[in-house]
Parts: sequence; C-alpha cells; structure tokens
Amino acid sequence: MAAIELEGVTKRFGDVLAVDSLDLTVDDGEIFGFLGPNGAGKSTTIDILLDFVRPTAGTATVLGHDAQTDGRAVRRRTGVLPDGYHVYDRLTGRHHLEFAREIKGVEADIEGVLERVRIADAADRKAGGYSKGMRQRLVLAMALIGDPDLLVLDEPSTGLDPNGAREMREILREENARGTTVFFSSHVMEQVEAVCDRVAIIDRGRLVAVDTIDGLRDASETGETLYVYVSTLDDEIVADVAALDGVGSASIEDGRLRVTADDVSKFAVLHAIDTDVTAVQDFSVVESSLEDLFVRYTNERQEVDA
Amino acid sequence: MSGSELGAGSWVAVAKKDFRDAVQSRALWALVAVFVVLSIGSTYAYVEAPELLGSPGGATFAGLIFFTIGLTGLFVPLAAIVVGYRSIAGERELGSIKLLLSMPTTRGSVFVGKVVGRTCVLAFGLVVGLLVGLGVGAAMLGELRIVPVAVFVAVTLLFSAVYTAIVVGISATTGSTSRATTLALGFFVVFELFWDAVPMVILYVVEGFATPTAIPDWVFPITQLSPSSAYFSSVVALLPDLAETAEATQAGASTGADAASGEPAPLYATPEIGLLVLALWLVAALVVGYYRFRSADL
Repeated sequence: MAAIELEGVTKRFGDVLAVDSLDLTVDDGEIFGFLGPNGAGKSTTIDILLDFVRPTAGTATVLGHDAQTDGRAVRRRTGVLPDGYHVYDRLTGRHHLEFAREIKGVEADIEGVLERVRIADAADRKAGGYSKGMRQRLVLAMALIGDPDLLVLDEPSTGLDPNGAREMREILREENARGTTVFFSSHVMEQVEAVCDRVAIIDRGRLVAVDTIDGLRDASETGETLYVYVSTLDDEIVADVAALDGVGSASIEDGRLRVTADDVSKFAVLHAIDTDVTAVQDFSVVESSLEDLFVRYTNERQEVDA
Repeated sequence: MSGSELGAGSWVAVAKKDFRDAVQSRALWALVAVFVVLSIGSTYAYVEAPELLGSPGGATFAGLIFFTIGLTGLFVPLAAIVVGYRSIAGERELGSIKLLLSMPTTRGSVFVGKVVGRTCVLAFGLVVGLLVGLGVGAAMLGELRIVPVAVFVAVTLLFSAVYTAIVVGISATTGSTSRATTLALGFFVVFELFWDAVPMVILYVVEGFATPTAIPDWVFPITQLSPSSAYFSSVVALLPDLAETAEATQAGASTGADAASGEPAPLYATPEIGLLVLALWLVAALVVGYYRFRSADL
C-alpha cells in the first residue's frame, strides 16, 4: 500500500501557482526525501497532506484516507513536525507532551521520549525560553508520541547543529526500522542523501525528478571523476587514455589528467593508464555531489523558464 | 459539526490546554484583580449612596443585584474581547495552530475547545469577582439571598459564554489579530454602545423620515438584539420578584422591563425573549465562526 498518494494536486494562492499538478507516490516503509529550494512548494504540499490547506485541484490520500475529508483519521496515525509552527510559550515541554498524549488518546512514556530527543533536563521549563533547536526537538517528541505509522517532517533539521541533525537522522532511522514511513522535506541535499531511500525534487511547484539516491547519481552523468598525476602529459597521451576501454572522457585540467569512468571501476582505469599509457604518480577521486545535481535540476529549469 | 467531526473528547484536551495556558498568563490575573476591585467598588458605592445610584428607597439586596448587572453588562463584553480575540486568529498568526491541528483533532473540536476554554477563564474571573462583591454587599446590608445570587451568577455565566463564543467566533474568521481586534471592537461599538440608537433610526426611516409619534411594538425585540440587553432581560425573566422589588426602588432605567410596564405587555415584549436572543447569538457565533474557520487555508 502507498503511504502517501498525490494525484494531480494543484494549489493556487491568488495569482501564484504554488503546486502544479503534482503526482507522487510514497511507498509504505520507505524514507522519502522531498527536496527543493525555498519557495518550491514543499511546505504547501505538506500542508495539503495535513489538511492545513485545501488543494485547488487533485486528491491527496494518506495511509489510505483522503486527507481532506478524513483528516483526523490521517493524523491519528501520523506524527508531524510542521513548518512555521510556534510552541505554546507559557507551557513547559512536559505540558506539550502531556497535551499530545491526551489529544492522541494514547499511553506514552513521556520521560522516555524526552530522553530520546535529549530535552529531559529542560522538560519543566517553559517552552517560550527554548532555543530553536530545542523547540524542534520538542515538536519531534510530540510527533513521536503514540508510535505513528507515518512521520511527516517539514525541514526537520532547521535550527539544529550538525550533531543535532545527526541525532535527528538516527531517530528517523530507528523509527523507520520499526516500520514507520518517513516523509521529510529539505532544501539541503546532504541531509536527504544521508538517510533517504528515495528522493523527489520539486521546483516551482513541479516535480522535476523522483528516483533513488543511486538512480539520481547515475542520471547525473558525471559519476565519478578521476584526477591523475602523470610524469608527462600531452595531447597524445590524452588521446591514448580516451581510447582505453571504459574511459568516458579524458582531458587536461590544471596540469592533471581528468578522466571519467564508464561502467568500469576507477581502479581498472588507473591500472590501464599505468600499464598501457604512462606511469601514474598520484591520483584523486572526486565524487560528483548530489548537491551539484540538485542545483543543476533546479537551475536549469529556471533558465528554461527565464 | 457532526458527532464524528467533533470526535470523542478531543475538544476537552484543547479546552484544558487553553485554560492551562491562560492560567499562566498575567493578563488573566490582572483581569480577575480588576474585576474584584470593580465589584467591591461598585457594591460599596451602591450601599453608601443608593439614592444617587437608582434606589431612592434605600439600598436593598435586590437593588444591589440589579445595580451589579450594569457592571457585568459592560465588563463581560470587554473582558470577553480581551480573553478571546486572539484565541484562534492569534494561533493562526503565530503558527501554533499547526501544532494543534497536526494532532488527531478537527477544526470543529479546536473551535469548540477554544470557546469552552476561554469561557472557563472568563467565568473563573467573574465568579471570584461577583462572590467577593456580593459578599461584601451582603455583609454591609446584613442581608443575603442565596437563590437570587445563584440565579444571577448562572445567567451571568451564560452571558459570558455567549460573549466568549461571539468573540472566539470572530477570531475564527481571520488569521490576523489586528483584524480580529477591529471586528470584535466593532461588534462591541455597534451592539453595545450604539444599539439603543439603531431601532430609533430604523423607526425614523420607516416613519418616512419623520419623528415618530409613538413607539411601535416591534422596536422592543430589536433593542433586545444587543446581547447585554438580552442579558438584563434574562435576569428579569428569571428573577421576576426581585425585579419588582428592585424596580420599586429604582428610578426608571431604559430597559426592556420598563418598556413593557404601564401598558398591557404585547406577547413578544416579555423579558423571556432575552434568553431566546442569548441562545440565538450562541448558535449564530458558533455557526459563522466554525464555517469560516473550516474552509480557511491556514
């Protein structure tokens, strides 16, 4: 069963088309990253899943329930970390969790959850005095109460330091291992890359790519790039290297030989250069970052649109 | 708001959260303090100078209750605005509504929970203030009538629930607290400050832009549309004996009870209409607020 199914979801705010006929399926049990630059329509899409916002057209089905007509059934099994939320300044962290437990109508180990998100020592302080990171942890804790089947998190790493972001990812992995589907948005590829099974990239309200991390990497054509230091370097050597089996392209860059590998390991290519062409003195490998890919996906469209 | 929409008790959690939140607020305690001081002050003024304050025959406990209606009739609307104008608009403006609606609840439950929670806040202040004020009055007059006090407090609580529903309903129609403030104050100005003039203006127009010679029967129900007039009539309706005693000592007030006296009362010009009007306001506030809130993008 699909945990989330969007069909032709469109949302227009006056003249602004925030989401443009979005089709997306998130499978049960996966960790799904929803990636896009700020203002791409991520939060609007999530707001539609949670029935904060009503779509202009299309349907959103979450855990088998229509998000608009049966929102309460959706949220009964969904933990949410919304975007642009505000905590209740005058209530303590513990009050927030007690409220979540009561309204969800579940038994929950509040101490355990507080420990898990590492705000146990601040539990009896008013949330108005919490740092952004602590609020983020508090709301994650509220989301975790009641062991949801689906976690929907809008920019979960906001306000967290690198350590906090790593702890957040660990919690997401643990929840996922328990069988929970995780759907989270981010504008930073690095965070998505670290945990996600699959990724969707959205830009200007439109879906531009849906794939696994590996799939995206393959699609990104650059793959891995080798920089090889050789004793002598001229056009003839470049031509010889380019002719080797499995070499995609070869060129001179900053006095080094720049080689991309196709379908063969970089060691095979290095070995071939060393034995068949010229002695290798040193080399380095640069993995094409998905960040580059993300930037390209989202910028290309802008150029096309412009 | 069907039963399944409201869900089993999630509005209770919302109301409890809201009350818990408000109890931490200095504004609530300031409100209680102000009302206690006003209540004691008005009781003291009435008992010390009943001749100046509408009881030429001397201070009585019944007169005190009717004098106190003047205070609560003004305090409740203003306090309801203070307590309620941000209730939903404020949560929408800040974004805490997203935290609330991320939970397995519904907008209907949130709305009802807010009305109940804020009503409890206001009721708490009122009960404390009224019991202190009337208690002081009872001690000064050496007279206490339990049943009328209970009825009066109960009607006042109903009135505060209606006003809170109106203000929370107004708050539910918008995501901006400044707009909510404007609407709530506008409601107060139209229905409390200027409402006496409204039927007269209508009458003037109906009479062909001439000064009317007599006040026709339909004017009274229109004056009763003001929630505080309806509140006054409701007290009169439920405490008729007390009203008579108070009226005997009271130099005429511009209320429905007096309008009906003298001539044989037409069927609709009875104080009971006040209870009906309060009920209609409650329903109207809940319906309008809920439908606006339900269809809003947050």
